[in-house]
Amino acid sequence: MLRSASILASNASKLSGAGVVPQQLLKIAGGTFGPVVTRGQQTLPEIKPGQESTVPRKGYSPFGTKQPNLVEWSVARLDDLLNWGRKGSIWPLTFGLACCAVEMMHIAAPRYDMDRYGVVFRASPRQADVIIVAGTLTNKMAPALRKVYDQMPEPRWVISMGSCANGGGYYHYSYSVVRGCDRIIPVDIYVPGCPPTAEALMYGVLQLQKKVKRMRTLQMWYRK
Amino acid sequence: MAKYLGLDKVGKLFQIIQQSGGLRAAYKKLYRFDELKIGSLVGTDKYGNKYFENPYYFYGRNRWVEYAHHQNMDYDGSQIPAEWFGWMHYKTDLPPIRDGARVQHKWMASHSENLSGTKEQYMPYTTTKPKYEAWDPKKK
Amino acid sequence: MIRAPLTKALSLGSSTSPIHKIAAAAFRTTAVTAQIPAKAPEKIEVFVDDIPVHVEPGTTILQAAAVAGVEIPRFCYHERLAVAGNCRMCLVEIEKSPKLAAACAMPVMKGWRIKTNSEKTRQAREGVMEFLLMNHPLDCPICDQGGECDLQDQAMAFGSDRSRFTDINHSGKRAVEDKDIGPLVKTIMTRCIHCTRCIRFASEIAGVDDLGTTGRGNDMQIGTYVEKLFLSEMSGNVIDLCPVGALTNKPFSFAARPWETRKISSIDVLDAVGSNIIVSTRTNEVLRILPRENEEINEEWLADKSRFACDGLKRQRLVAPMVRIKGELTPVEWEGALIEVGQKVRAANGAVAGVAGSLADVESMVALKDLLNRVGSEAVCTEQSFPSEGSGADLRSNYLFNRNIQSLETADVALLIGTNPRYEAPLINTRLRKAYVHNELEVASIGPKIDLSYRHNNLGDDSNLITQICNGTHPFAAKLKEAKNPAIIVGSDLLARPDGAGILANLQNFAKGFKSTSALNVLQRNASQAGALDIGYQAGVEEAIKSKPKVLFLLNADEAKVTRDQLPKDCYIVYVGHHGDEGAQIADAVLPGVAYTEKTATYVNTEGRAQQTLAAVSPPGLARDDWKIFRAISEIVGAPLPYDSLEEIRDRLDDIAPHLIRHGHLEANSFQTVAPQLSAAPSISSGKVSVQQLSLKDYFMTDPISRASPTMAKCIQAAKKEGEKKAASASC
Repeated sequence: MLRSASILASNASKLSGAGVVPQQLLKIAGGTFGPVVTRGQQTLPEIKPGQESTVPRKGYSPFGTKQPNLVEWSVARLDDLLNWGRKGSIWPLTFGLACCAVEMMHIAAPRYDMDRYGVVFRASPRQADVIIVAGTLTNKMAPALRKVYDQMPEPRWVISMGSCANGGGYYHYSYSVVRGCDRIIPVDIYVPGCPPTAEALMYGVLQLQKKVKRMRTLQMWYRK
Repeated sequence: MAKYLGLDKVGKLFQIIQQSGGLRAAYKKLYRFDELKIGSLVGTDKYGNKYFENPYYFYGRNRWVEYAHHQNMDYDGSQIPAEWFGWMHYKTDLPPIRDGARVQHKWMASHSENLSGTKEQYMPYTTTKPKYEAWDPKKK
Repeated sequence: MIRAPLTKALSLGSSTSPIHKIAAAAFRTTAVTAQIPAKAPEKIEVFVDDIPVHVEPGTTILQAAAVAGVEIPRFCYHERLAVAGNCRMCLVEIEKSPKLAAACAMPVMKGWRIKTNSEKTRQAREGVMEFLLMNHPLDCPICDQGGECDLQDQAMAFGSDRSRFTDINHSGKRAVEDKDIGPLVKTIMTRCIHCTRCIRFASEIAGVDDLGTTGRGNDMQIGTYVEKLFLSEMSGNVIDLCPVGALTNKPFSFAARPWETRKISSIDVLDAVGSNIIVSTRTNEVLRILPRENEEINEEWLADKSRFACDGLKRQRLVAPMVRIKGELTPVEWEGALIEVGQKVRAANGAVAGVAGSLADVESMVALKDLLNRVGSEAVCTEQSFPSEGSGADLRSNYLFNRNIQSLETADVALLIGTNPRYEAPLINTRLRKAYVHNELEVASIGPKIDLSYRHNNLGDDSNLITQICNGTHPFAAKLKEAKNPAIIVGSDLLARPDGAGILANLQNFAKGFKSTSALNVLQRNASQAGALDIGYQAGVEEAIKSKPKVLFLLNADEAKVTRDQLPKDCYIVYVGHHGDEGAQIADAVLPGVAYTEKTATYVNTEGRAQQTLAAVSPPGLARDDWKIFRAISEIVGAPLPYDSLEEIRDRLDDIAPHLIRHGHLEANSFQTVAPQLSAAPSISSGKVSVQQLSLKDYFMTDPISRASPTMAKCIQAAKKEGEKKAASASC
């Protein structure tokens, strides 16, 4: 009956009672000028020089292989296959709006050569998987962006490139600029920078690949 | 003559396979990194990433990293620690293991990879005062 | 009216019942007799910029120009205030007259040719402007009036593009010390141009002679003579009147520019007058409230509580549904809260009651009543009680302010019983004051000694006085009977007494013999009361308590009329409202509703005039429209209400009482003569007649919104301090 209510209540007590979160996030140490507060960071497992790694090797699938039954296991594998296909051919729609667009062009050029990841620019939203919003999104452009986004077939992703697309950036206080393209469309990857280097955008594309790898299309369908 | 027939390339391939540790290991490396290169090991960082260099390849491709074995396919550019980042990006030709001038302080935090998409990811939060002050039933 | 179907509109026009027709005719005749002057004087013809206009003698040049559609610039002149003629901005040239005349003070003569745009006039304006600006600081960029400043606008339109002002002696511009005149009005007296509008407002409309001028010429200053606060229930209006930035809104200072705010016309609900307001919002936040002109209700004034309590809308808000878990109100999702409440209602098996408080709108009250009726309960009440004996709330004329607010201006004798209109309905009090000033209204009051801002005869606070008046044994009774336009104003709190029915019946019988049919007026204090009684709510919480409910709905009920110990132990209290106040504290479930600036809703004022608020901002957090909450509960209970949109619920209102959807329109009341016949005429018990709001400090916090407002708290502090100071000076 009061499922949602009690869940909420129990969560609240966990948060306030145990105080797990703040301790994990903040580390307080003594310093010369009073206590030093550092953000708790998860570091990578260290390996002694000259020794072979004892850390267990990560599996390919982000879902793991320990599904409770065979059907779920096979659905997870099918998802892996589907994601492998999807992440290997991310076709972005160019949406170059400002200076960021020049950096976006660079990732197609030989030095960064996005083609090796199966990333090919398309000129039509109907053929694109991802839209790269590169530059200042003005109020006037916003309806066009939304229209183009709506024309893209599912599944679709959005990379917001540069400060202006992330949150208005330099033009945040302008009367004619949208304060971030996430006010118009749902953004998956934010690439910081003004403008971000082509390398940063490349890294954003790789991050998107990682995200695609985690998609649970068939598993969600099966669970339903 | 062999050069004209491209036989040196074949020889190079055999060299690479040999250095990689056999046909099977070479295939695995190709599968992991989508390329197969030969080069000299410059150093290894404390996370187990191996850094290679070979001036035979042109600038931009002549330094590369082979990520720690246990990361398998989940390697990421942010797993390269800051000191090696400079070498990888040609900011310096001295790799950190040979550079004695690097300062080390106690307070320097250890490197953290990009945690986006994991539970530990950074979540932005609002710092502005809320427009509405909600009623708190406990406060009288 | 626009949204009513055509057939409905047609039928309204044609098929009114005979009673309605007679009533309408009666109403019209009274109105007409009040308006027709004894003899229409001959009109005279004048020419404004060669446009011929016919005006009545005594009209000023400025008014004649307004008739001709010519705008003459002015600073000191204001239609609702006495003419001062000291700013000289309205100088105009009259043909064949050697000197220019001040248009605001000069009555027109026959055949005058007035030139408002001649070279001479323009030069005069430029000169006046130059003098005004000579001592006006150049601080427009940091002035709150910027953008709505008369001086700015007129300097642009009529001023010179350069100034001859050169500071030869380096003495600087005139500087005047700022005065502290209270927590509401901020003063920057250097900006003052001495139009004296604020002084005239204070002494004429507000009736407090606090403001005045000291010094002459360049040393003239507006002030309060001695250091004191300008505390009046109408003080905020001087902000609107001030043509420059000398008097500005203190809580709103440096908050926003007028051109960046969004303005939404709405209705004030903090008293039962239903003043028309404009809600200024920016970035989904109510910044300030301004009056909107409505000649029939609030003219262009607004009471301070209505104007300044808007910051209470941002504090103490209910932003998420809450359910009591282990004795603590805990925020939950809507789904969980609704299911919880729905199941309690279902389990109650008809033992459900509802109480509507002072801020409830008609739509949500209808939804609550429909919901309760569907689960088999009739116990829907209002917090404010009203006698149910006799015709009770069955006849609208019993509980309404029958003589409409505007026509109070024509009243000649008024009797106030158990009410203090100055704080219960400040804008009705200004009308009474207007009648007192311009119509020689004679006012008497029964109740404690109060300051009404005009002279009145306090007959005493004994209840027997009411009996004496009704018997005709009291001398004042004769005055009322002889008066052409008498008005008896009865406080709703007086009628909430156990013998309220007796008081009402006696007064109705007494008022039968009057020359005016709508002399008896009930002054409600709550914006919801008239509407609730219109749709069939029972007045008073007794009915709800008597029904021993298992589930009790409190709709904005925050007056603590219902307490835990009056109810059965297992009673589940559901509070629906927007502020965490008395009601939410005793509740087991809190469902967040929205405040009047966030919903489009109907309210009926004390005259019986239905008006609607418009949503100015979106609701905070998870709060939802109150009626939609009841609609959602009805779905869970298994008796869905038949309306899903505002239009549909308005159609339901139309079915219950058609006047509820005719916004702004005042229906004539016709049953004044019938009511006494139905009343049982019980006697009036002896005792004292009391009034809840005696002095200014009682005025500011009367409802959940104003109780949450920091500005109102400051006002109370200031009023208390001022009271102490006065008491101290009186004692020594």
